[in-house]
Amino acid sequence: MDFSWTPEQAELRAAAAEMAAAELNEGLAEREKAGTFSLEGWRRCAELGIQGLCVPEEHGGAGADALTTVGVLERLGYGCKDNGLVFSINAHMWTLQVPLVAFGSEEQKRRWLPGLCSGALIGGNAMSEPASGSDAYSLQTTAVRRDDRYVLNGSKVFVTNAPVADLLLVFANVDPERRPSGVSAFLVERDAPGLTVTRQVEKMGLKTSPMGELFLDDCEVSAEARLGKEGAGQTLFTHSMTWERSSILAGGVGAMERLLETCVAYAKGREQFGQAIGKFQLVASKLVDMKARLETSRALLYKTAWLRDQGRSIFLEAALAKLEISEAWVRSAQDAVAIHGGYGYMCEYEVERELRDAMGSRLYSGTSEIQRTIIAALMGL
Amino acid sequence: MVPKEQIQASVKQFILSEFLSGEDADELEPTTPLVSAGILDSIATLKLVTFLEEQFSVQIEAHEADVDHLNTVEDISNLVLSKL
Ligand SMILES: Cc1cc2nc3c(=O)[nH]c(=O)nc-3n(C[C@H](O)[C@H](O)[C@H](O)COP(=O)(O)OP(=O)(O)OC[C@H]3O[C@@H](n4cnc5c(N)ncnc54)[C@H](O)[C@@H]3O)c2cc1C
Repeated sequence: MDFSWTPEQAELRAAAAEMAAAELNEGLAEREKAGTFSLEGWRRCAELGIQGLCVPEEHGGAGADALTTVGVLERLGYGCKDNGLVFSINAHMWTLQVPLVAFGSEEQKRRWLPGLCSGALIGGNAMSEPASGSDAYSLQTTAVRRDDRYVLNGSKVFVTNAPVADLLLVFANVDPERRPSGVSAFLVERDAPGLTVTRQVEKMGLKTSPMGELFLDDCEVSAEARLGKEGAGQTLFTHSMTWERSSILAGGVGAMERLLETCVAYAKGREQFGQAIGKFQLVASKLVDMKARLETSRALLYKTAWLRDQGRSIFLEAALAKLEISEAWVRSAQDAVAIHGGYGYMCEYEVERELRDAMGSRLYSGTSEIQRTIIAALMGL
Repeated sequence: MVPKEQIQASVKQFILSEFLSGEDADELEPTTPLVSAGILDSIATLKLVTFLEEQFSVQIEAHEADVDHLNTVEDISNLVLSKL
């Protein structure tokens, strides 16, 4: 296992961090308050090749391996304080691009991937429903084949990017009697007849990442819009979620490093009882814990990506990386608030926002409880 | 080359011990449906794929982890055999 970066990888990582710090943070406090997505930031990231990182070159991407991909996303997360923007980019990559690459026909790939890589198009997926979250495959949305079309009916919640999306991967059951084996995936365009994006949902954190609900009322798509075979939804979603769990918190690792640096600087500068608060062992030990969490999170992130690049299935490792990094990120953000004292609670210091943003990581891509369930099962329990 | 009978026996043993413990081994035939009968649910499929990759040093592609390739002991063994 060799985690040293080649000059090309190092250059890409540096470029991502520099661009992010210089161009993606301005006006963040106002955007956060208003819940505004930065289309400009999205496009800037795409220009740098972020969205297309792991998409093959022939389809408009960079064809990077998994380790390079998470390495670059880590530095994006370090430079970019707009965790919502980073989250939206990740949702687009893991829940739409990755399944398109693995399950798309040549025609589907040629049609969609170049625009999704260039930043011209925004995407996401719609799996969760009012009555099905963790138990995703019990979804109730149906897809009925009528000649050369499918007619979709149902509703979806928590759809990241929906209010700004051009294309969504919608999961529906073609044969509810077959339960999970009937779940199938459909590429649904924003202007598909019968599709309504009902509202922009307000969240605790990641407020610059738009989220919406979908209502599918006799929503018609052509048979060519089906991604993969009928009934392939479960296989496809597993593939998508394994990529997501292994990679989505790369930006979180970068954010943890940024938080740690902010906290070390604050602990050295803030004096109480006649000395820098970092000299108090109770404060220093929080910083040491933050450092330890950062390093273990990074090691898990890299190792999981490296294993993928070796051609291994990484179901257990991906769930473990997701579980550990999300829990570490939340705990470190809590410590960051504590280290900043009352100032940490004030919006001006931008630490409370980091905590609110981090909290979502315990929930999306499967809650921490679900990650533990998967890991336990794969441990043979 | 591992003979098909050996692959089948190994797969059958794994399925019996992991997902059908206490069941009569004779009930699990090469053509008994596993996915469509709900014996292999989503997490069980992850376990099975991990087992196949480790046991036979093969790589199962994302699109192969489905009902067409994993529904019976026979299907699973054919998939493994095609990769050896
Ligand atoms: C920021 C954010 C973005 C999201 N983006 C998307 C998106 O783009 N597309 C999409 O489809 N979905 C998205 N989701 C939805 C997300 O995938 C679900 O919220 C998640 O899977 C949990 O489902 P639920 O909210 O219905 O909770 P539930 O499944 O109802 O769970 C409630 C509680 O019960 C626990 N629980 C449930 N089952 C078990 C079990 N078997 N064992 C132990 N505990 C259990 C859970 O861990 C949780 O604590 C997003 C969510 C968030 C927070």
